[in-house]
Amino acid sequence: MATLIIDGQKVHAEEEQTVLEVARANGIEIPTLCHHPLMEPHGACRLCTVEVIRRGWSSLQTSCTYPAWDGLEIKTNSPAVREARQVILGLLLSRCPGVPLLQDLAQEYGVTEPPFPTDDPEQKCILCGLCVRVCHELVKADVLNFSQRGIERQVGPPFLEKTRQCIGCGACTIVCPTGAIEIVLEQAAIYQEKPLGPTSAIYVPSLQAVPRVPVIDTDACIRFRQNDRTEGEIADACGACQMLCEAGAVDFTQQDEVIELNVGTVIVATGFEMWDPAKLSQYAYGQSPNIITGLEFERLSNSGGITGGEILTADGKKPERVAVIHCVGSRDHNAHEYCSRICCMYSLKQAHLVRDKTGAKVYEFYMDMRTFGKGYEEFYERVQKEEGITMVRGRGASVEVLPDGKLRVKGEDADLGELVHVDVDMVVLSSAIEAPHDAERIGALFGLSRSADGFFAEAHPKLRPVETNTDGVFLAGCAQGPKDVPDAVGHAGASASMALALLNKGEVTISPTTAKVITERCVGCGDCVPVCPYTAIALVEGKSEVNPVLCKGCGTCAATCPAGAIQALHFTDEQIVAQIEGVLAWV
Amino acid sequence: MPKLKSVEELRNLRAQVQKDLTARTETTTTITVGMGTCGISAGAREVMQAVLQELNAREIKAHVTTVGCIGMCSKEPLLDIQQGDEPRITYGNVTPKMVPRIIEEHVIHGRVVDDWVVGRIAMGQEE
Amino acid sequence: MAEQHRADVIVSCLHGRCPDLIPALQEEIERRGLTTEVEVVESGCRGLCAMGPVILLQPEGIFYTNVQPADVPELVEETLIKGRAVPRLTYKEPLTHKDVCYYEDIPFYNKQMRHVMHKCGMINPESIAEYIALDGYQALAKALTEMSPEEIIAEVKKSGLRGRGGAGFATGRKWESTRQAEGDVRYVVANGDEGDPGAFMNRSLMEGDPHAIIEGMVIGAYAIGAHEGFIYVRDEYPLAVRNLNMAIEQAREYGLLGEDILGTGFDFDIRIVRGAGAFVCGESSALMQSVEGKVGEPRPKHYHATERGLWDKPTALNNVETWANIPLIINNGADWFASVGTERSKGTKTFCLVGQIANTGLIEVPMGITLREIVYDIGGGIPGNGDFKAVQTGGPSGGCIPADQLDLPVDYDSLIEAGSMMGSGGMIVMDNHTCMVDIARYFLDFLKEESCGKCTPCREGIRRMLEILTRITQGEGEMADLDTLEALARTVQNASLCGLGKSAPNPVLSTLHYFRDEYVAHIEEKKCPAGVCKALIEYYIIAENCTGCGLCRRKCPQQAISGEKKEPHVIDLELCIKCGICHDVCKFDAVGVR
Repeated sequence: MATLIIDGQKVHAEEEQTVLEVARANGIEIPTLCHHPLMEPHGACRLCTVEVIRRGWSSLQTSCTYPAWDGLEIKTNSPAVREARQVILGLLLSRCPGVPLLQDLAQEYGVTEPPFPTDDPEQKCILCGLCVRVCHELVKADVLNFSQRGIERQVGPPFLEKTRQCIGCGACTIVCPTGAIEIVLEQAAIYQEKPLGPTSAIYVPSLQAVPRVPVIDTDACIRFRQNDRTEGEIADACGACQMLCEAGAVDFTQQDEVIELNVGTVIVATGFEMWDPAKLSQYAYGQSPNIITGLEFERLSNSGGITGGEILTADGKKPERVAVIHCVGSRDHNAHEYCSRICCMYSLKQAHLVRDKTGAKVYEFYMDMRTFGKGYEEFYERVQKEEGITMVRGRGASVEVLPDGKLRVKGEDADLGELVHVDVDMVVLSSAIEAPHDAERIGALFGLSRSADGFFAEAHPKLRPVETNTDGVFLAGCAQGPKDVPDAVGHAGASASMALALLNKGEVTISPTTAKVITERCVGCGDCVPVCPYTAIALVEGKSEVNPVLCKGCGTCAATCPAGAIQALHFTDEQIVAQIEGVLAWV
Repeated sequence: MPKLKSVEELRNLRAQVQKDLTARTETTTTITVGMGTCGISAGAREVMQAVLQELNAREIKAHVTTVGCIGMCSKEPLLDIQQGDEPRITYGNVTPKMVPRIIEEHVIHGRVVDDWVVGRIAMGQEE
Repeated sequence: MAEQHRADVIVSCLHGRCPDLIPALQEEIERRGLTTEVEVVESGCRGLCAMGPVILLQPEGIFYTNVQPADVPELVEETLIKGRAVPRLTYKEPLTHKDVCYYEDIPFYNKQMRHVMHKCGMINPESIAEYIALDGYQALAKALTEMSPEEIIAEVKKSGLRGRGGAGFATGRKWESTRQAEGDVRYVVANGDEGDPGAFMNRSLMEGDPHAIIEGMVIGAYAIGAHEGFIYVRDEYPLAVRNLNMAIEQAREYGLLGEDILGTGFDFDIRIVRGAGAFVCGESSALMQSVEGKVGEPRPKHYHATERGLWDKPTALNNVETWANIPLIINNGADWFASVGTERSKGTKTFCLVGQIANTGLIEVPMGITLREIVYDIGGGIPGNGDFKAVQTGGPSGGCIPADQLDLPVDYDSLIEAGSMMGSGGMIVMDNHTCMVDIARYFLDFLKEESCGKCTPCREGIRRMLEILTRITQGEGEMADLDTLEALARTVQNASLCGLGKSAPNPVLSTLHYFRDEYVAHIEEKKCPAGVCKALIEYYIIAENCTGCGLCRRKCPQQAISGEKKEPHVIDLELCIKCGICHDVCKFDAVGVR
């Protein structure tokens, strides 16, 4: 371990550390422009120049490149150092007079005006080479490099032309200290499609997430993209998050795992999906960034969202008028016929939030107001009377993007009996919720049937709302049908106690009325397997076999079997015939 | 040329080539043209061609060779003539037009063209 | 038609500096009635620029130098009529006017000490046999069979040889640390990327004696334990590349390169890497980047190349001239080598002597020779009526050394002390018609183009210094500019990344130091004492000298000169663009500059 003196302070250095690293580790600040901890030192801007005294010889050296050798004495702020930095900043400021970072730094060294004439007042690039290095060292795309030399030196892609090598990752814009690089996207980039989504490829899904750890979006992550793009040839691109994570918690090799568990009961709580309002073109969803769904509004107004919870239009301004359209995709013969149940209340809440945060005027286009929950009606009354939200009874018929970017919402005011329209800055579509797209697969897995709306069917609509026709499988929340939060919580609680009751008992009571395969007669045709609504039959070694625990004795298999090899116990043909005969004996 | 396998072979080769070169210069005239970049840019290539042409025309047998820069760049093209044990004579600022006279007077008649000489190198005194 | 004439008088008119020679000749020939017998022919430059105007009489081939119009009657009388040469006009050594004789008696050569260059110009570089005949590869044989690597390094150390590329690092020590550095792969590299304007020592060596470099490199490789070597040559030296390639091929064929050299079991081979014309690639770290196939830009070199050089392996990088010195040291011994030179600078050094000097050319001198000897004895002094003003050494980033330092011994340390440097060996002589501000501006203009642009001080600083100098030469400078210049120069010198930047301010600093009065004259009096800076001078006709010949009037591209025949002319300063043609063409010194 090396020991050196920086500004009179005795400090220790690890092998291969630079003077800059040691200084920063000890809280001694040295200004830099071209340095980045994740990249090879470049030594180009020369701002981190310090005075190095080695074996009695004093010289100016760049601390970002100078090895922290044993016995060095470093002065980070001597008059010679300050003079060099002052001249360097004067030179840079004359090159790029409009860069605030340089203005501030120069000010610190007493340079208030560019000391030399400026060629191009728009020039922002100081040729620090961070973009070139990030593209080469981390992204490994090698799109950017220097061309020309001397004062003509510039940064750009080969021949300064558009190149397919650029993956549009934007790493260069992030490392650029002066904001000299702009990415112009010709096609919607990953995150342009979902403007209210995460802003980087590694993010914590939400502040309330449990566990609250970041996830990597492999569609956006440079490392995964480069790997996929080059079919594994570039497998070690970027990795900045891994290099920076002190806990060493980033593991790119993690794979999806299939975990097999033996369980006694299953609660299906697969929730819902948002219905895509682009399916109904009259709402113009996707034509303006200011037409958003209710869920996107939640993201926008969340304090962990991209605006820090401020409700802003896409150009960063507070909206003056906001329209909320109810029943988008619900109660609609062209979409879902059912009522999504939650929209009325969240729309009112969002109207309240808009009023509260922006003071904008809010128009609610609704067909019927369904405020059936406890305290809901009171809330409805409050936002109308106290907050002055304009309620327009009648479904919003269409949204039109006006040339100036404003949005025109047209509809019928059924109370007035006339057509109305209102021009607003933002439209929130209270779009329907629907069963997950893969509900069918889940249903088949557990032998669950689905009702006409696509959600899972409960065993009995009134008496058994959490059970299913499969013993031991329960439903919770929106898997069963649209629910608001208290309803979902209540439903889930019921489901959990049913499951617990079963588990606590430790055993299940089954009906003796089950099907039985007469093995000698079974030809193994398998016709019985798909017809069983309880997935209680399987082919085992070429013969059908009934799981008596699952079997409800419905007899479908017995009726299907072409060989007459399945009998329903207690309801064998003979028994039924005997019963018929017994009944007939009375006649 | 087979590869030299030992220092002994190198020394033998040296003796051999020294003998060859001496034999060559004893029997014939050696004409040397300075063909460094400085010489070429001053016109040495044309001088060389003139020399070869003249020798050919007059059917004179002389050994013509090239060397690099000898330092007197301001007097390039330089042309050296050496005959037997005579000193090596250097002519400076040689042009193709001068070549016939140099060949005529110096090579054939053994008279040094004093007007154009810039120096002479005694045999064995190369520095 | 020339064939119809008895004789041709061929006049090389040296850039029109003596335009009246031909009229004078024609007049005299006419007067003597020789018009039908003799024709006067004007030819281009004969290259003997220092000796012009020159006249060649054919078919006699009589060659006269420095012919003035006054010589014409005698010339015609003696040569064309009587058929005799005029001895005083035939070629003479410039100062002593003694007829030339042996090389060693020519002042150009007798103060020289041609060691490294002793085969250059003597052997055919295309023939390995000629090299071997002059004891070539004997040093290699001796090194490989009679000496251990340590002994070779000790010998080189003892010789006191220092790098000939300019920095002057002790070669033996460099080799020693390369040999001792950790790692199993080592390289040797020869730097032949000579880029200084007016310097061509390395080129001449590579063209004229390529085997000397190769032999030195093989010995060096054996000493440090390398098996691969590179010669970096700029592609603007096609002949050097060709001759080196040919020499490498021959050396391989003779078993002097490749596997099992001379049967000793030592393997070593050399590859040529051609540089693409970036001046900065002469800088060691940029050169190595370039060899590695990367952009030729310097990188921070806190670790010496002897530890982390080419591909981060220990590397001994020396100038081609350094390598060519090695066989001499091995053959003749360190003591022989060290017997030449000064206390801390041993051996000889090649220089390119150019500029306002009678004998331009490539010279090799013992270290410690004075500038005066080089300029006046070897170089033959300043031609024409100029006075010596300064000599610029060390290439574009070297410095200017003034007349009062002419007795400065030429060695590494003295030159640095004088504010210049050895550099690879360019030496540009300047006389009193050279403006020092303009010279500083010229070199910075070169460096501005050649700065790679990587680091701020060099890229931006040189350009700003150049702007200020340009302003001064245009008469728009202020005294405060000098302080700004000095502050800029200090930072560029101290804070730049590589040697190019660190030495770039030298032309400014050394001229500011020695010729500050010229700067002040430009700024305060708006005058250029040397009469160079166009914005600060004006041409005028000296009436008492003007014969009214009208030559200047005819030559003026702007029609700015008017006057009656045989009456003094005048220059209209409104129209004059200061091209200087009138000054150059006037035969009567009647056009002055002020």
